[in-house]
Amino acid sequence: VATLRRHDEALRLRLYIAGNAPNSLRAIANVKAICGKYFASRNELEIVDVLDQPRRALADGVIVTPTLLKLSPPPVQRVVGDLSDTNQVLLTLASR
Amino acid sequence: MKTADALPTRTLAQRLQEAEATIAALLSGQIDAVVDAASKTPILLSKAQDALRRERDRAQRYLDTAEVILLAVDLAGRITLINRKGCDVLGWTADELFGRNWFETCLPAAIRQSVEQTFDKVLGGDVSVIENYVLTRSGQERLIEWRNTVVRDDLGQIVGTFSSGADITDRRALEEQFRQAQKMEAIGRLAGGVAHDFNNLLTVILGYSELVLADLPLDDSHKADIGEIQKAGTRAAGLTRQLLAFSRKQIIEPTLLDLNVVVADMRAMLGRLIGEDVTVAVKLASAPVPVKADRGQIEQIVLNLAVNARDAMPKGGTLTIEAANIDIDQHNAKTHVSVEPGSYVVLSVTDTGTGMTPQVQARLFEPFFTTKERGKGTGLGLATVQGIVTRSGGSVGVYSEVGKGTSLKVYFPRADAEEMPVAAPPQVRAASGVQTVLVVEDERGLRALAKRLLEREGYTVLAAANAEEAVQLFDANASIDLVLTDVIMPGASGPELTRRLLEQRAALKVIYMSGYTDDAIVQHGILKPGIAFLNKPFTSETLGRKIREVLDR
Repeated sequence: VATLRRHDEALRLRLYIAGNAPNSLRAIANVKAICGKYFASRNELEIVDVLDQPRRALADGVIVTPTLLKLSPPPVQRVVGDLSDTNQVLLTLASR
Repeated sequence: MKTADALPTRTLAQRLQEAEATIAALLSGQIDAVVDAASKTPILLSKAQDALRRERDRAQRYLDTAEVILLAVDLAGRITLINRKGCDVLGWTADELFGRNWFETCLPAAIRQSVEQTFDKVLGGDVSVIENYVLTRSGQERLIEWRNTVVRDDLGQIVGTFSSGADITDRRALEEQFRQAQKMEAIGRLAGGVAHDFNNLLTVILGYSELVLADLPLDDSHKADIGEIQKAGTRAAGLTRQLLAFSRKQIIEPTLLDLNVVVADMRAMLGRLIGEDVTVAVKLASAPVPVKADRGQIEQIVLNLAVNARDAMPKGGTLTIEAANIDIDQHNAKTHVSVEPGSYVVLSVTDTGTGMTPQVQARLFEPFFTTKERGKGTGLGLATVQGIVTRSGGSVGVYSEVGKGTSLKVYFPRADAEEMPVAAPPQVRAASGVQTVLVVEDERGLRALAKRLLEREGYTVLAAANAEEAVQLFDANASIDLVLTDVIMPGASGPELTRRLLEQRAALKVIYMSGYTDDAIVQHGILKPGIAFLNKPFTSETLGRKIREVLDR
């Protein structure tokens, strides 16, 4: 039951980017595409620009952009890079 | 700011995994920015990368501007850096060379192994400057002087070498030429210096032999012995002349000559010199063969070439000496080594002897190069010929085949035949005189000899050992008609002395005597116009004739 409930938990993501730098733009596009295709209707994506909020990145232990954080369901997981490797992203997001 | 949801602490394993992923992303260029924990500011990598790229381009430009080869090689011998100059010399592009093995790609096979061993020594820090040939893409070999340093990584581990290389191929060739020129110059100085003293001694030996011979009764038993002394002296004089001609310090008096006449006059002498086994054939041109040259030098050339030809035919054969006129046009200039188109006279000396290999031909004109047995040749003969001919604006061609024979052709610019005197100039008879001659010579024996020879001819002779004495004698004797002076003397030189004397009496006649001289009376070895000159060693006949000639002018 617990497993099932977690399954139903909404996917909470936070993507750290740097302005409109190319990898950041690609990462936004990639994560949106993946969410739209595999996690439609039950995801929450927050995009944080380190140029505006560098302290938040440091607080989350993020030192490079783009970095995608999966906040929930736990465990917290990270993917670094432009998220072009869909399989790797899916594996991380589905991990529990 | 949403900081409430602090993330759970990660394990070391997780951190390591993340670090690895971050590095992988960095390496694949997927990272835009790094947040600096200390300054809490993001650093955009694109800007940093641009700066880095600019820095790298700038460094590359510096490398490419360098006029030396810059080369880095890793421990395995792979090329990790090469600049434009390196690519220019080797004929490859940098992209073609990166990653390739330096030793296999750019070194001649023959020296590959030894250079690799040297490379190991460079890595060991034993060697820093080396020279070796490199192989270019087109197969050429260039000599490079390398300065090597060992490259270390941050941990101090040796990771390869960095070398700067200068292409010294051309410089080395020039140095070689320069060394050769210096050698010749040194030999020249030596020859000149020795010849000066030597000629004085020979003049005394020959002069006194002559005096004794003239005074001995016809049937005296010593006559033959003295004759031998005289012959040896004459041969020694020939040798000195050879040295001087070779060192280009000989004083020459170019006159208009007919090569036909010079060769014909030498025929009898050559016959005696060459020996019975060899047939001497002389071919003369039907028309005069005019050349402006020093007769003694032309004779010397013929002699040197004839002797070489004889020595090339130990079992006998035919020696052909030919004088001819030849016009060389654009077309056949190609077949005549180093001869520009124009009108020439050519002196050919051809033998049917052993011939020469290309190796011997290549060194033919080198001084002291000889194929003759020890003691048989000086190695100066052809070097001398070359020296004389070059100085006269001519050139020498060699044609030889092993087992068939050799032909040497000496080309001189053809002189204007119109100027040629119809008959030989009338020889001035060595007539005795009544005038007064002042002899100035620092060498005692020579001074005494000149005095004696001239007194025998009936002249009144005053002798001075130097310019000062000469001036005193000149001031005390108004009757002096002619000054016979050495050129090089301690104190004032001959030309300095005569300038002073001529200021007092412009009509005074002057003769210089020397075996070798400085630029005071010659330019490029040729007498200045109007100067009377007596070559040492001289005989009573040449001395008497020269004195008469000048006094009668």
